[in-house]
Amino acid sequence: MAWYRQFDWLLIICWILLFSAGLVAIYSATLGPVSQFLPDYIQRNFLNQVVWIGVSIIALAAIQFTSPRTFQQISYALYIICIILAIATVMWGLEAGGARRWLVVGGLRFQISEMLKLATILAVANYLTSRRDISAEHIGSALVAVVLMVIPSIIIILQNDTGTALVLLAMIPVMLFWSGLPYGISLFLISPAIIAYFTIINWKLGVIAALVLTVAIFFIQKRHWLTGSAFIVGNLVVVGVQVALYQILKPHQQARIEAFVNPALDPQGAGWNVLQAKTAIGSGGLWGKGFLEGTQTQLRFLPEQWTDFIFPVIAEEFGFVGAGLLLLVFAIMLMRLLGIAGEHRHPFAQLVIVGVTMTFFVHLIINLGSAMGLFPVIGLPLPFVSYGGSAFLSYSIMLAICLNLHFYKREFSIYS
Amino acid sequence: MLRKKQEKRNAVSIRVLQVILVTMMLIFAGRLFQLQIIEYETYGPLSLANSIRQENVSPARGLIFDRSGRMLVDNQPIYTITVTPASFDPRTIPILTEYLDIAPEVLEERLLAARRYSWHRPSRLISDISFHRFSQIQENIWKLPGIGYQVESKRHYPTEINGAHIFGYLSEVTQQEFRSSRRYNLGDKAGRSGIEFIYEQDLRGELGARYIRVNALGQALGPFEEGQMGHNPVKGADIYTNIDHDLQLLAEDLMIGKTGGVVAMDPNTGAILALVSSPGFDVDRLSGRIDMDYWMALNADSTNPLFNRAISSMQPPGSTVKPLMGLIGLDFGIIDPETVITCRGGFTLGRFYRCTRQHGRQNLVEAIQNSCNTYFFSLMHQTMNRVGLNAWHQHTASFGLGQLTQIDIPHERRGILPDSSYYNTHFGGPRDWGIGDLISVGVGQGTFSSSPLQMAVMTSQLANGGYRVQPHIVDRIVYPDGTAMVKSNEKERIPWIRDDHLGIIQLGMRKAVSEGSGRFYADISGVEVAGKTGTAQNPHGIDHGWFVSYAPYDNPEIAIAVLVENAGFGSISAAPIAGLMMEQYFHGRIRRNWVYDYVKTFTPRESAESNSNNEEAL
Repeated sequence: MAWYRQFDWLLIICWILLFSAGLVAIYSATLGPVSQFLPDYIQRNFLNQVVWIGVSIIALAAIQFTSPRTFQQISYALYIICIILAIATVMWGLEAGGARRWLVVGGLRFQISEMLKLATILAVANYLTSRRDISAEHIGSALVAVVLMVIPSIIIILQNDTGTALVLLAMIPVMLFWSGLPYGISLFLISPAIIAYFTIINWKLGVIAALVLTVAIFFIQKRHWLTGSAFIVGNLVVVGVQVALYQILKPHQQARIEAFVNPALDPQGAGWNVLQAKTAIGSGGLWGKGFLEGTQTQLRFLPEQWTDFIFPVIAEEFGFVGAGLLLLVFAIMLMRLLGIAGEHRHPFAQLVIVGVTMTFFVHLIINLGSAMGLFPVIGLPLPFVSYGGSAFLSYSIMLAICLNLHFYKREFSIYS
Repeated sequence: MLRKKQEKRNAVSIRVLQVILVTMMLIFAGRLFQLQIIEYETYGPLSLANSIRQENVSPARGLIFDRSGRMLVDNQPIYTITVTPASFDPRTIPILTEYLDIAPEVLEERLLAARRYSWHRPSRLISDISFHRFSQIQENIWKLPGIGYQVESKRHYPTEINGAHIFGYLSEVTQQEFRSSRRYNLGDKAGRSGIEFIYEQDLRGELGARYIRVNALGQALGPFEEGQMGHNPVKGADIYTNIDHDLQLLAEDLMIGKTGGVVAMDPNTGAILALVSSPGFDVDRLSGRIDMDYWMALNADSTNPLFNRAISSMQPPGSTVKPLMGLIGLDFGIIDPETVITCRGGFTLGRFYRCTRQHGRQNLVEAIQNSCNTYFFSLMHQTMNRVGLNAWHQHTASFGLGQLTQIDIPHERRGILPDSSYYNTHFGGPRDWGIGDLISVGVGQGTFSSSPLQMAVMTSQLANGGYRVQPHIVDRIVYPDGTAMVKSNEKERIPWIRDDHLGIIQLGMRKAVSEGSGRFYADISGVEVAGKTGTAQNPHGIDHGWFVSYAPYDNPEIAIAVLVENAGFGSISAAPIAGLMMEQYFHGRIRRNWVYDYVKTFTPRESAESNSNNEEAL
């Protein structure tokens, strides 16, 4: 087979479609009529993004020439370097928008947390697949894997970047699930997140969710201790979230959550972002208001409209058709990635691809969920679409590694 | 075997993940459909409303003119600085306080209030700054994000007239007024006293509206749809008063340094020609940004300058009621013009009620002319015995005493005109008061009080042949569309009055000026003035001087009531003021400069030793 036949062009096409949509939206959000209200450095975002896309194309191509074993070999080193840099960011990083997430080296700003996601996936995947006797079925190695993911999460939380920390924590059940953790326990692991989500909306819903999940866990894995602890933990989560909501969370966090539950309560304050984002999306209608014609975007009603709230820009200007197509491209990309993982025979490759896919997926649902008012607002970029150089580069590298693993599927499998 | 199991598990895991992924994507697609297709009707208008802001445009307040069409009150630009909290940068507070010259705490407080109103709309930060400060802000507006400015208007008083108690002051509408009415912008001013208050609805005008495109920062981006949707504000109605500029100016000048009130009116129509309450206040200082220090000082001032003495003071009218008492006596048939009462320096009923001197034999005209107490003590005694207090009360009340005159400025007080229920309430019960309490009421002392306005109304009704007058400051209101509303006045005669009786009384009043106590200062050349002086006993200090008058005697054009508190005899304190005003009114200038100098340098003296309750002067 010719080499280009083995290459997954569908993913490349999705990638190009996504960053093109991103460029259009960033252009509209920063260089449209709205630019009169924006400072110069934000108006440079579009060109910056073009440059970073160029860099990313080169990086993506270059990675295709490396051996897939390289990723295994460098995984620990990369992990340690990224951890060190992340700690450096906590101590000397540049603070912006309340989070200390930028490391400035020679005038260039890097967001190490983005690279840390990749490094963590590689390291955990390498650890869990390095020897036959290590897998998540053994409680000891599962704990090591959890620690490998919790350490970067803590550092990211110290950077005050809740969104990225959530992504890393979400990797725990995903990685363990893939490496052989029983389904019932996997569901048990993610159940607190689901219960907490419903509890925020209404504590009664939380209790119902806890009960439903307990029953589900019981049917998947008929172990009384698991069912029992699922029931107890589930209800503890309901209580815990209630306490956290009213006692532990800082006022601005409480306000955000309240704004999510009822944005109309404080339309000028905390509910503002959600309300404006929903208004932008809703007023787009079927066909949208047209490129550079979105009033919400161009009159600066959307907060952070080139990064976290870029989806409303697309939805407003290109309507249900445009936003729906974007969702479709994402769905194709993620389904294709999962397909690649399924076809692969090497456990390391499988785990890396699943990890990357789920990372993208978590970004996607948190970003879109925030914009559409399904989740409380959590600042996370939309992969490949949002403005952000180091984020775009690291997502592209993640994708490039998946492409590489797929490309060298046969060779790589031989070594396993 | 193990490998196969592993592969099977992987296949299931992929399926699970794919199901989760597809489910979530479907949920999001559904949500997108809900927002963009189903709820489009909600969010479409919302985004339009978001980017279009209706701005109220305040109308120009109506102007106020005097009787000759001279402008007394107009509007002047004032410069206001606004803040939009969302884009305001707190680091600019130091420069801002420097430019605006206000304390940082005050600024913080106003910022807080602005935030409470809206984060994204401009609120007033400070009003009525000098043009110099305004231009400073304007030049540096680029380094003050969130700061804007507005040019509005405030009341301006182009003439020398103070008119504080006629025009009244304005102040910013409260949050409550703003919410409960669609007629105001936040920060607009509404009249709080005087005709500015009473005619607020007319002077105010109608808010206009304009629709402008704005962004989330509240920055205006120009009119929406070329401004076709808006409508212009409707200017407030102009008010033409009956005020005589020159007369008002003179009256204010004469009352400087004195405490009291002056009311001059047309006795035929009730049109107020001049109205002064002294001490006054500088209405100009309350017309723009409220001068807080000045406002506090006014409220703390023990002389109470905000109190409108011309319509609200309650002082015993003293001898000024004697003509009316005589008229009532005639009507009840208790006396006739020839009835003679001999004055031996007082009247005895249980105790001795003193007269000012021994007048000897007095008929009614002489008794009015000489202000003989004995005559009126005796008259009151007989009136009480023969018709009773309440019949007397009704007759007196028909001249407006103890009644509200319904003048078109607020806070008027009715004073006291006693009847039996009044005494029953205030003295204990029906057995706790008697004729002894009523004798001095017959000469305007004791439980009897009135305002200069009421006295002017009483005098007018005596002068005009007994027709009721309703005093009014405003002659007509002219609306911007050209229509005018004229304050009409139907003539209604007080039913019990007889012309022959009234003639006697008028003669007495004429003689009181030509030969009695008014002759020194009020009997001016060229015009026959009729009037009556009075001195109200003041248990707390120097007596209050009264003078009521009208002229010309045979065909009255003007009636004037003057009250000067703590000034002693009315003949020497109040009468000269009315006399000078008569000269001004009839001759256009003051002919007797020595009287003017006398009034300006007047220092009150004790009218009598305050040894008993019956020293009634002249």
